[in-house]
Amino acid sequence: MNQFTLVGRERTILFSFMILGLVCMGITFIVDDEFHSRFWSNFLHNSVFFTGIAFLALMFLCANVIALSGWHVVFKRLWEAYAQFLLVGIILMTVVVIGVWFHAHHLYHWADAESVANDEILEGKSGFLNPVMYTIFSIIVVGVWYFFATKMRALSIEEDGVAKYDFSIHKKKMKTWASWFLPIGGFTSAAVIWQWIMSIDAHWYSTLFAWYCTISWFVSMLCITVLTLIYLKSRGFYEQVDANHFHDLGKYVFGFSVFWTYLWFSQYMLIWYGNIGEETIYFHQRLEQYPVLFYGNLIVNFVLPFFVLLRNDTKRKMGVMAVICSIVLFGHWVDYFLMIKPGVLHTAHELLGHGGHSALMGAAEAIPVGHQVAADAQAHAEHASNFVSGFSLPGLLEVGTFLGFAALFVFFFMRQLEQAPLVPERDPYIDESLHHHVV
Amino acid sequence: MKNKEVLFGLYDDEEVLLTAVKNARTAHLDIMDVYSPFPVHGLDPILGLSESRIHQAGFVFGLIGTLTAFLFMTWVFTRDWPIIFGGKPYWSVPAFIPIIFELTVLFASIGMVVTYYAVNGQGPGVSNPVLDDRITDDKFCVAFDVTDTAVDRVDVYQQFFRETGASEVKTKTI
Repeated sequence: MNQFTLVGRERTILFSFMILGLVCMGITFIVDDEFHSRFWSNFLHNSVFFTGIAFLALMFLCANVIALSGWHVVFKRLWEAYAQFLLVGIILMTVVVIGVWFHAHHLYHWADAESVANDEILEGKSGFLNPVMYTIFSIIVVGVWYFFATKMRALSIEEDGVAKYDFSIHKKKMKTWASWFLPIGGFTSAAVIWQWIMSIDAHWYSTLFAWYCTISWFVSMLCITVLTLIYLKSRGFYEQVDANHFHDLGKYVFGFSVFWTYLWFSQYMLIWYGNIGEETIYFHQRLEQYPVLFYGNLIVNFVLPFFVLLRNDTKRKMGVMAVICSIVLFGHWVDYFLMIKPGVLHTAHELLGHGGHSALMGAAEAIPVGHQVAADAQAHAEHASNFVSGFSLPGLLEVGTFLGFAALFVFFFMRQLEQAPLVPERDPYIDESLHHHVV
Repeated sequence: MKNKEVLFGLYDDEEVLLTAVKNARTAHLDIMDVYSPFPVHGLDPILGLSESRIHQAGFVFGLIGTLTAFLFMTWVFTRDWPIIFGGKPYWSVPAFIPIIFELTVLFASIGMVVTYYAVNGQGPGVSNPVLDDRITDDKFCVAFDVTDTAVDRVDVYQQFFRETGASEVKTKTI
């Protein structure tokens, strides 16, 4: 079987999840504060997460083309299909962009003209952090990515018509397009991440942040690939994909989970060592108010995949891979949650004039060491009273929204899969992929 | 140690070698060893070799390295010689992590090398007889131990080499 078609049951399930997502977003919108911070931050969180996954699918596809890699060819249509989701990503981000222009949401502190005027740091950054730049990066740059995604897919489908072992399309066109995309995508994605995520904590910056986000997306993309392959195999497609392909995907999940941890730790340790208030505030906030997510993030995204996927045989077992990849995928979603939510909450507090939160923290720092106990008690009191549903921990509404977006993503890429044969029979590297042996 | 009498056949091609080894296994011939100038894909399962356990040793050595670094630095910075660096607490775990990582890698790699040499009886001063110099270049070799082996058994081996297309058959005492 080489031609995928969505069956009625799949449509029903996916549409029910999408409706669930919409209902959850609707409820979030109603129960929200006056800025609808929870609704908008959920929207941004999921849009960014899935758009990034689509982008990373394209990056990895192009990197594999450049590297003359063959192992992935049998299921490369999956990544082509994921990359097409960039189109939906543009639409989703357009909603956020419109919100920035018309002040429908207050996700970004720099979007508030009054704050910028009274804030030296925000003013200094306003050359990059302003609605015009945000629009350029969210829509035009992502549009350029989408253009490359359609180009790579069109070439791949064009190749289905050539003779066997005909390298002409691969060598003359695909390689050229892929080698242009890698630097373009690589450099622009960093700026896009600064705009979309890092600028939520508008006063704070980290030079490592873009890599860290990218790898989070990359691991998520690999997890989705594994889960999709397992599902499609269970439906009888991709019988050519065997334990050897899963072994290689497992090695990627393992390796990049370790790399993610490396970047996470590098960012944390430099800020911890430097001990500059402007920088440590980012981690102080998360350690004090989000301890479960902060440490849980490390356990789920590093300790678990590290020890489970360290062994040779676990990477070759589809059951183990399915469980680990589901957990790690959710773990990286929570990672983005932890990047986005505290900053949004903080901005909302600032704009609502609550300010009390930061004043309290300042007071706690000012207390001399002898009064540490008092300060601790105060911090605890602050801690207990600071639980904000939908921010301190992902609630049911957040999970429902995630499922809705995930269903949209799955539905969209499955529609793309329907439009071309699943296995590219005429790819010059197809034989290498069909006879792939790892051990 | 008593010298070994080895009967070996040289093959020109890895595919021929793989078929030959397969035949030997089905005929229950007791292969002493197979030599090749490069790792032949799929040879291990045909030879019936079990998976190497060197990586399990590596994990244990790595763990020892982790604990060594962590416990040593904990002892130094809290008990033996506490110094304040940059206003940090004595027991500053984030600062230990790079060193913990380095010692994990160091212990795992050196431990695995030493284990490998010890298990295989290799090391400085150990002589390593080569059956035929061309095995390191372009020949593939299947070897049988024929020390004190009955003549008719040796004939079976000779027959096997003829049938499976060995280009040369030789004996050597090592």
